[in-house]
Amino acid sequence: MNATTSDIQTTRTICGYCGVGCSLDLMTRDNRIIAVHPAFDGPANEGALCVKGQFAYDYVHHPDRLSHPLVRDGEGRLRQASWEEALDRAAQGFMDVQQKHGRHAVYGVASGRTPSEANYMMQKFIRVGFGTNYIDNCSRA
Amino acid sequence: MSNPLADMEKPDVIFCIGTNMTEAHPVAATRLKKALARGAKMIVADPRRIRLAEMADLYLPIRVGSDTALLLGMAHVIVREGLADPGFIATRTEGYDELVDHLQEKTPEWAASITGVPAALIEEAAILYGSSDRAAIYYTLGITEHICGVENVQSLCNLALLTGNFGREGTGVNPMRGQNNIQGAGDSGALPNNYAGFQAVDDAANQAKFEKAYGRRVDLEKGITKVTALEQCGDRIFGMLIDGENTVVSDPDQEHCIHALKSLEHLVVIDIFLTETAELADVVLPAASWAETDGHFVNTERRIQRVRKAVDSPGEARPDWWIIGQIARRMGMSGFDYDSPVPIFNELCALSPIYNGIDWDLAESGQYQWPIPYRGHPGTPRLHEGAFINGRGKFSFTDYRDPAETIDEDYPLWLTTGRRLESYHTRTQTGRSEGINELLPEETLEVHPGDAARYGLREGGWARMSSRRGAVDVRVETTRRSPQGTVFASFSFADVPINVLTGSGYDPITHTAELKVCPVHVEPIAEKAQLAAD
Repeated sequence: MNATTSDIQTTRTICGYCGVGCSLDLMTRDNRIIAVHPAFDGPANEGALCVKGQFAYDYVHHPDRLSHPLVRDGEGRLRQASWEEALDRAAQGFMDVQQKHGRHAVYGVASGRTPSEANYMMQKFIRVGFGTNYIDNCSRA
Repeated sequence: MSNPLADMEKPDVIFCIGTNMTEAHPVAATRLKKALARGAKMIVADPRRIRLAEMADLYLPIRVGSDTALLLGMAHVIVREGLADPGFIATRTEGYDELVDHLQEKTPEWAASITGVPAALIEEAAILYGSSDRAAIYYTLGITEHICGVENVQSLCNLALLTGNFGREGTGVNPMRGQNNIQGAGDSGALPNNYAGFQAVDDAANQAKFEKAYGRRVDLEKGITKVTALEQCGDRIFGMLIDGENTVVSDPDQEHCIHALKSLEHLVVIDIFLTETAELADVVLPAASWAETDGHFVNTERRIQRVRKAVDSPGEARPDWWIIGQIARRMGMSGFDYDSPVPIFNELCALSPIYNGIDWDLAESGQYQWPIPYRGHPGTPRLHEGAFINGRGKFSFTDYRDPAETIDEDYPLWLTTGRRLESYHTRTQTGRSEGINELLPEETLEVHPGDAARYGLREGGWARMSSRRGAVDVRVETTRRSPQGTVFASFSFADVPINVLTGSGYDPITHTAELKVCPVHVEPIAEKAQLAAD
C-alpha cells in the first residue's frame, strides 16, 4: 500500500437500494465515503453494480441530513430538541393516545429500507407496548 | 423468489411479466442477458415496449390490468396442447380436473378480446413456455399492484404447477423484491398477520409462544393493514410511529394520505431527511443511514446478508433500533435493554423457525438463504424441491375482472406508473445525488405520438393530467414505448406527485393499491402551475 491509499478504509456491506442485494466495498477516508467498489465475490452480483449502487451514495453526506431531533412547538413549527426531550415527547404522546383512545389507537409502520433489526424492534414495540398486531411495513404501496 | 438469483442464468425459457427489470433490478437483469446469450428464449408481457421487450423473442403487448386473462388463456392452451406434466400433476398438485373444467372457456380468443394481444401470440407463448424443460417466471409490481394482484400471482402459479416448473434449477415463480430489505421487514414480523418468521398471529400456539417470550399477551386477531390504518386516522387511529417511509409521496391518493396523517394526535417519524412525511410529524427523530449502521438485509432470493457501518452519522443521528428501544423504555416496557444490534438479531433468529439455524456470527458469511431450520442446516437456495412445504400445490380457479376504474369519455387514457433506472422511489436519496440529478433531472409523461396528436400535446411541452382524485402538471415526452391509449410516469418526483392521481382501488386480500392502473384525462397547458404553498 502506498502513502496515498494507506488512509483509505474498506468496509464490505450490501447495497441499500433494490432487493437484489449486491455486495460492495465502501471506500472511506476521514469519515467520508469516497468511492464504491463492486464485490466480485458478492453472491448476488458477482462484480456487477448499477448506476445507483455504484454512484448514488453522496446523499449520505448531504447537508440536508437530519442531525438533531425535532419537536413541534406551540406555534406549530418544528424546532431542534435534545434526545431527552424528543424521546420523552414521543413516548408521552403514545401513552396519552393509549389512555384516551385505547390500545388499538396506535399504529406502527416499519421500513423496507432499514435493517431487519429495526423492523424487529418496530413490531416488538407495538406488540409489547399495546398487545396488538397494529404493525405493517411499506410493502403494500 | 422460489429460486436463487444464480438460477436466472439457467432457464430454457424465461417468462417476464409486469417487471421492468433492466431499470428496477438492473443487476438481476444481467443474469437474464447471460441466459439469452446462451440461447434461452424469452417471453415478455408488458403494456409498454420496455427494454426487456426489445430483447424478447416474443413480446405480448397486454392492456394494463389484463394479466389474469392472458395467463388463463395460456393455461388453456397448455392443457389443450397436451403440454401439462402428468407426473408432476399426479404427485405434487391437487385440483387439476377442476382446473381443466374451469379453463374450458378461457380460450386464447377470449383472452385476446380482453388483453388486446392476438390469440396466435398467446398460443405461441403458451406453447413455448409449456414445451420447455426448464421455464422460469419473473414478475414484479406489474403483477401485484392491481385489485386482482392475488389472482395474478395464483394464475402464474397455475402455469408453473401445470408444467412442473417448481423445485428444479432454472424454474420457479420468482417475484423480484423492490427494496433492499422489504423481505427482511416481513421476515422480522413487521406484518399485521404474522409474528417473526411468518408465524400466524391467529394461531393460539404462536400467541402462547410469544407471550412467553415477550411477557405480554398479544391479540389473537390479526391487525389492520397500513392502508386500513390510514383510512382510520382521526377516527380510530390517533397515534402513529413511522420509520423510514415517505408515505406522503409513495402512497396512493396523496390528498387522502396527507389528510389522514394530519388528523392524528401524535405522529412520530424516524428518518434520515426531513421528508414530506416527516414535515407533518410532532416529533422527528434523526436516524443513522445505510452506511452508518450494523445489521442485516434480506434480499429477493431470501439471502441474509450483513450490513456494516463504514462512517459515523452526522450530528446526533442514531441507529433506528436504538431510537425505537429508547421510546419503548420510556414507556416502561421491558425487554428493550439492547446495547447493540447483535442480541436483537439473535432474538429474531431464536424465535423464527426459518432462522433457527443461524445467529449473528453464522450470518457473517452471507451464505444462508432461509429456511435454515436448525444448526448445521445449509440453508435453502431453492424452495419446493421434492415437496411443497404445505403438502400439495393447489391449482387456483381465478377469473378476470376489470380494474377498479376503467377508461371512459371523461378519462379516456390508461395511466400506468413505475420506476426509472436512475431514481429510487421518492428520491429522498437519489434526488440528493449530484450525478443522478444530471442523468435524470425531471419527470416526464410518456405519450404515444398518436395520442399526443389527438390531445394536442407536443414534445417538451406541458400537460395537465387529471384523474377522479386530482391533477398534476408534467412535461410531455412523445415515444412509442407506451402504446396508443396508455401513458406512463414514475412517482419519484415530489414536484410531479403522480400519486395525487392514483388510489382507485385495492386488492381485497393484500390491500395492495392498484398503482398500475388509473384512467386519466390529459390536456395541453402553456406552463406548469406553481405547487400550492401548503
